[in-house]
Amino acid sequence: MLMKRRPTRREFGSGLVLAGAMGLGLRPAIAQPKEVRVAMIAPLSGPWARQGQLMRMGADMAIEEINEKGGIKALSGAKLTLVAADAGDSTEKAKNAAQRLLAQNMDLVGGTGAWLSSFTLAVTEVTERAQLPFLTLSYSDLITGRGFKYVFQTSPTAGHQAEETLPTALQLAEGATGKRPKTIGILMDNTAAPMSFAKPLREGGLEKLGLKLVVDQVFTPPLSDATPLIEKVRTGRPDFLLLLLSAMPDNKLVLEKLDEFKLSKGRLPLVGNGSPLGTPELMNIIGPDLLEGLLFSVADWPFKGDEEMVERFKKRTGEPWMTQDGLTAYGDMWILKEAIERAGAADRVKVADAIRAISLTTGPAAMSFPGPIRFDENGRRQDVPMIFAQWQNGVPVTVFPPELALAKPYWLKEA
Amino acid sequence: MDLPPFLAEFLQAFAAGVTVGGAYALMCIGLGIIFGSMRVINFAQGDFLMLGMYVAFYLTTGYGILSFLGPYAGPIIAAFLAGPVVFAIGWVVHRFIVARVTGLGVAASEGAGAYGQIIVTLGLSLILQNGGLIVLGSTPTGIRTPLSRSSWDIGPVLLNQARVVSFLVAVALVIAVYLFLARTRIGKGLRAAADNSTAAIYMGIDVDRAHRIAWSLGVGITGVAGGLLASSQSFQPYIGFDFVIVMYAGVVLGGLGSILGAFWGGLLIGMVQQMSTLVLPYQLQNTAIFVVFLLIIFLRPQGLFGQLSERT
Amino acid sequence: MRSPAARRRWAILAVVVTVLLVSFVIRSAYYQLVLTQVLLWAVLSLAWNILSGYSGYFSFGHAAFWGLGAYTVAVGMIDFDLTPWLGIPLGAIVGGLAGAVIGYPTFRLRGHYFALAMLAYPLAMLYVFQWLGYQEVTLPMKREWPLLYMQFADQRAYAVLALGLLALALVVSLRVENSRFGMALLAIKQNEPAAEAAGIDTWRWKMRAIMLSGAFAGMAGGLYAVVLLVVTPESVFGMLVSAQPLILALFGGVGSLWGPVIGAVVLVPLAEGLNGELGDVLPGIQGVVYGVAIILIILGAPEGVYWRLCDRFAKLRPAPRIATGPAAAVARSPATRSVAGGELLVLRGLGISFGGLRALDSVDLVVRQGSLHGIIGPNGAGKTTLFNVVNGFLAPGSGEISFAGAALTGLRPNQVCRRGIGRTFQVARAFPRMSVLDNVIVGAFVSARDDATARRMAKAAVDRVGLADRASTIAGGLTTRELRLMELARALASQPRLVLLDETLAGLGPDDLAGILSVIRQVRDEGVTVLIIEHTMQAMVQLVDEFSVLDHGRLIAAGRPDEIVRDRRVIEAYLGRRWIDRVADVVA
Repeated sequence: MLMKRRPTRREFGSGLVLAGAMGLGLRPAIAQPKEVRVAMIAPLSGPWARQGQLMRMGADMAIEEINEKGGIKALSGAKLTLVAADAGDSTEKAKNAAQRLLAQNMDLVGGTGAWLSSFTLAVTEVTERAQLPFLTLSYSDLITGRGFKYVFQTSPTAGHQAEETLPTALQLAEGATGKRPKTIGILMDNTAAPMSFAKPLREGGLEKLGLKLVVDQVFTPPLSDATPLIEKVRTGRPDFLLLLLSAMPDNKLVLEKLDEFKLSKGRLPLVGNGSPLGTPELMNIIGPDLLEGLLFSVADWPFKGDEEMVERFKKRTGEPWMTQDGLTAYGDMWILKEAIERAGAADRVKVADAIRAISLTTGPAAMSFPGPIRFDENGRRQDVPMIFAQWQNGVPVTVFPPELALAKPYWLKEA
Repeated sequence: MDLPPFLAEFLQAFAAGVTVGGAYALMCIGLGIIFGSMRVINFAQGDFLMLGMYVAFYLTTGYGILSFLGPYAGPIIAAFLAGPVVFAIGWVVHRFIVARVTGLGVAASEGAGAYGQIIVTLGLSLILQNGGLIVLGSTPTGIRTPLSRSSWDIGPVLLNQARVVSFLVAVALVIAVYLFLARTRIGKGLRAAADNSTAAIYMGIDVDRAHRIAWSLGVGITGVAGGLLASSQSFQPYIGFDFVIVMYAGVVLGGLGSILGAFWGGLLIGMVQQMSTLVLPYQLQNTAIFVVFLLIIFLRPQGLFGQLSERT
Repeated sequence: MRSPAARRRWAILAVVVTVLLVSFVIRSAYYQLVLTQVLLWAVLSLAWNILSGYSGYFSFGHAAFWGLGAYTVAVGMIDFDLTPWLGIPLGAIVGGLAGAVIGYPTFRLRGHYFALAMLAYPLAMLYVFQWLGYQEVTLPMKREWPLLYMQFADQRAYAVLALGLLALALVVSLRVENSRFGMALLAIKQNEPAAEAAGIDTWRWKMRAIMLSGAFAGMAGGLYAVVLLVVTPESVFGMLVSAQPLILALFGGVGSLWGPVIGAVVLVPLAEGLNGELGDVLPGIQGVVYGVAIILIILGAPEGVYWRLCDRFAKLRPAPRIATGPAAAVARSPATRSVAGGELLVLRGLGISFGGLRALDSVDLVVRQGSLHGIIGPNGAGKTTLFNVVNGFLAPGSGEISFAGAALTGLRPNQVCRRGIGRTFQVARAFPRMSVLDNVIVGAFVSARDDATARRMAKAAVDRVGLADRASTIAGGLTTRELRLMELARALASQPRLVLLDETLAGLGPDDLAGILSVIRQVRDEGVTVLIIEHTMQAMVQLVDEFSVLDHGRLIAAGRPDEIVRDRRVIEAYLGRRWIDRVADVVA
C-alpha cells in the first residue's frame, strides 16, 4: 500500500519547460500561488533506502491531510506539494540532489532531510546559501554548530540526550532493584551521532552521576562479529551497559551475542539510544523474545495523543508501527505548514523567520514531537523531554516521561 | 575454570577468528577459482555473495519452503541450495556478458582484455546491487534461527553454533573442490585452461566452456558462503561491497591461483580481523587486515601457496 | 611524437575556451555544480592516466591521493585557518609525497598484485581517519573574507578553477606523452624487461609517474573538498572514488590524452542525470541503467571510445608520412676495433639455481670483439637464462661476468645497457598503433641526451636494419620479418658494442631468413659484436664464427661450426643417446 507518485506527463513537460527556463535564469512571477512546494532530500536508493522511504511515507501522509483540510489557508487554500530527491549513497549525490531541487524548483519554501548526518551537513550547505529553511532530525552537534541561520534541528542535541538518558535509566534501575549502578560499559559505533552523545559523558558526565567507566568499546560499522566486543563486556562486568548503535545490523549482532553469552534478558541491564533499536525489521530478524523489555531513549517516538494518527499510518502503509523516521517527517510537514501560514507568503525567508518565532504546543505539529516546538537562534530546540521507548509484547511503545507514555516502564530483571 | 582475563579473551578471539574465517575462506575459494582459472578480477563477487544470502533467506524465513526441516537444519540446507541457484545465474551471466571480455577471444588485444573485464564486472556489480534493491527491497533482512545465538561451550570459550557450522561446511566444500579439481576430468581441464589456454585448446579442451564452469563454480561457492552468513548477520542488497575487500585480501594472502591458499588466506583474514582487537582499538580491525595484506604482498608476493611466474 | 604536438595544444586551448564559454552561459547553480564535478573527476582520471594509462600499472587506489588532498585542505582550514588557495597546492605536495611513499614498496609488484595492493591503501586510510575522529568535517563558512577562503557566491568560479586544473593536467599530460617520459612509460607498459634492457631506468620513471599522478589527484581532491564543503572518510577514500577514474578512463580511452575527458564528459552527467530523473521514480533503476550502459559501451569499444574513434577515422585517412630524409649521418662512437679479436664478454664459472634445479652450471664463455658468436642447445638448456643473467635480470649464484674488462655482476639491467649491451627478446611486442620509428626510439634514450638526438639515432638504427622505407608505417601492419628487424633496430638504437639476440630467427621461412641473416652480418661488419641464441642448427651454421653449446645448464662444447657439427656430445644432446649409436658412422 505504498504511495508511489510517478510524475504525470503534464508535470514532466511543464517541469522540463520550467527547468529550461531556470537554466536560462528566468524567474517566474508567482503572485498568489496555487501550490506551495516543500522539499525532501533523503536516501531513496543505496544502503539507507529504507530510512528515506519511511520518511517519505510520513511526509506524504501529512501532505495529504493538510490538503484535505483545506491547504494553506493564508494563501487562499493553496495546496502543499512535496518534491522529493534521492540523496543516494554519497555526500556528493546528496549535495547534487539538493542543488538540483533548488535549481529546478525556484519556488521552494522549506525542506526536510537528509537522515544521515553527513548528508544533512552537505545538503544544508546548499540550503543555507539559498536561504531555504531546513528541518532535520539529525542530531550531531556540528549540524547546528556552524552558525547557520536556516537549519532547524528537531531532535534535542546529543549532549542534551546524553544528560537525560542516563539519570532516567539509573532512576528506573534503582527503583526496581533497590541498588544504584556504580559501573557502566559503553558499546558504540564511531558515527557522528553516537560520538556526540558519548563525548560529554566521557568528559565528566559519568563522574557527575557517580559512574565508573569499566568497558569502553568503539567500533567501525559495519560490525563483522560481536564476539570480542561482548567478551570484553563479560570480563569487564559493568553494572549497566549503554548501547549507542546507529545501524540495525549491528544491533542484531550485539543483542544476539549478549544472548549467547547469557547476558541478556535482564542479567546485564541494558539501555540503548537511537531509533534503529525500535525497527520492525529488527524484530523480524531476531524475534520478539530477545527484545522484550529492551529500553531505549530516542529523540522522537509516537506518544500519548498520537494513537489515531499512528493507526492511519499503519493502515495506509502496511507498516506494523510508526518509527521516528515517519513521525518526524510527518511533523516537519506540519511545522512548515504552520510557518507558511504565519508568514502569509510563499517566501522562504519569511517562512524561516516564522519558524524562528514559532512556539507550538498544540496541533499536529506539536503532537509529532515531545516538548514545545521552539527553536533558539542556533536552530536548536530547548526543554525537550527525552522519550524512552520499551519493547513490550513485540511492539516498542513510549514509556517515559509519564505524561507522554502509552504504557508503564518496567526494569528487566533476571528471572 | 577461571582463566586470567587476557587468556580468556585471547582464546575467545581466536575461536571467533577461526569460525568467522570459515565463511571468509569459502568466499575466497570461490574468488580464487575464478581468478586462478580466468585471471579475471571480478568486482561483482560480493554481489553474488549477496544473491546467495537472499536465496537462502527466501528458502527459509522468506517463503518457508524448507521450514519443514526446522530452524536448525533448514538454514544449512538452504545455504547448500543457494550454491546451485547462484551457479545457474553465474552461468547465464557468463554466457551472455562475461565471455565477451574474457577468455581466448580477448587474449590477443592490448591489455589482454583487462580493461573490458574491469568495466564489465563493475557494471555487473551495479546492476546486481541496484536491481536487487528494486526486486528485493531495501529493508534489511536475515534468517531467523536459534543457531546464531547459541553456542557450544568449551570451558570459558563460547563457540557460536552458526559460525561453527559455516566453518565445517567450508572445510567440507574446500575438500570437495580440491578433489574435483585434482581428480575429475573437468577439474583437470580447468587447471589446464588456467595454465596455458592456447595449449589447452590444442589438447582438445574447450577453454570457453572451462571458463564458464570455473566462473559459475566460483560464484556458486561464494553463494553458499553467503547462504551460511545469512544465518549470522542481516543484509540488504548493497552488502556485497563490504566483503569484496576481505575476499581479495584473503585470495592474495593465500596465493593467487591456489585453492588451498584461498582457504588459508580467508581463514587468516578472519583471524586477523578478530584477534587484532586484543591489541588494537576495535575501530582499526579492518586496517589491521590491510596492514597484514600489504605486509604479505611485500614480503611474499606469491602469498602462502602461490607461485610467482615471470616470463621475459 | 604521435600527432604533432602543436595541433594538440591548439585542441586543448579550444576545449578550455569552449568550456569557459559554456560555464558562463549556464545560469543554473545545479548545472554549474555538475560541470565542476565533471571537470574535477576528469582531472582525477587524467591523473590516474598518467600513471596507469601510460605505464599499464593499474592503480585501484587513487582515492588515497584524492582523500589526502581533501583532508589537507579541510584540516588545514579548520585547525590552522589555512586558506584553500594555499591548501590546494599543499594538497599537491602531500599527494606527490604519498605517491612516493606508496610507490616505493609497491612497485616491486606487477600486474594484478600491484593493482590489488593499491586497493588496500585508501581503505586502510579510511578506517584510520574514522578512528582519528575525522568522521565528518565541514569547511567553516567564512562570512567576513569569503574570497580569501575560496568561498564564492557564484558557483561558476569553482567551475573556472576546476577548468584551470584541467588545463594544467592536459598540458602536463601532453608534455609527458611527447617526451621520453611518456615513451618510457609506454615501453614499460608494453614490455618492462625489454625496456629495462634497452636502458630505461624503469624504477625512476615509475616513481616520477606516481608522484606526478598523486600530486594532481591531491589537488583535485582538495578542490573537491572546497566545492562539497563536507569531507567524510567514505566520500573521499571509498572504493567508488577509486573506481571512478578507472571507469572514466577505460570508457573514454585508456592511455590517451582525451580519453579521461571524454569519459568524464559523458559518464558523470549521465549518472547524475539518471539520479535526477529516475532516482525518486523507481529507486535503484538509475544504477541498473548506468551499469547496463557501461557494459554495452565497453563491449562495443573495448579499449575506449577514443581509440575506437581513432581506428574508425584512421581507416579514412592515409597513413601519415614522417619525413624520411637520407640516412642521417649520426656521430657514432668509433667502433672499438682497437683490440680486434680481443675478449669482450667473459663469463667465468657462472652458475645459478632455481630451487633444486641447476639452471646454469659453471659456464665459461668468451665472446670476442667483432665476432658473431652463437649459443645453441636443445630446449631448456639454459640459453635464455644465460642472457637474463648477463643482462642483470637474474643474479648469478656463483661466477663472474666481465664486459670490456669491467665487472658486470650486480648491475641493474638498464645500467648494463648503458655499458653498451643491447638485447632483443623472444616475444616481440610492438606498439601496434605507433610507427616503426616511434617503436624504436625507446632504445635510443639511453644514449641520447635530448629527444631530437634520440630521434636521429632511432632513424639511423631503422636505416641500418633496412627498414628505412617502413619507418613511418604503423607497426600493426608489419610482417614477422619486419617485426624482428624492428626489434633489432631498437636494440641497436643505443649504439651498443655487444648485442644479444634471443631467437631472432625462430619461425622464419627461407626467404625471410636470408634477409635477416644478411642484416645481422652487416651489423657485425659495422663493428658490433653479436651474441645470438638459437636452437636450430641449420641457419646458425651459415651465420656464426663461433659456437658455444649448452645442455642442461652446462657448456658441453665450444668452437668453430664445422667442429661442432661433428661433435658427438652435441649430437647426443640434440638427438639422444640411441640416435648417436645408430648414426655414428654417417656423421663421421
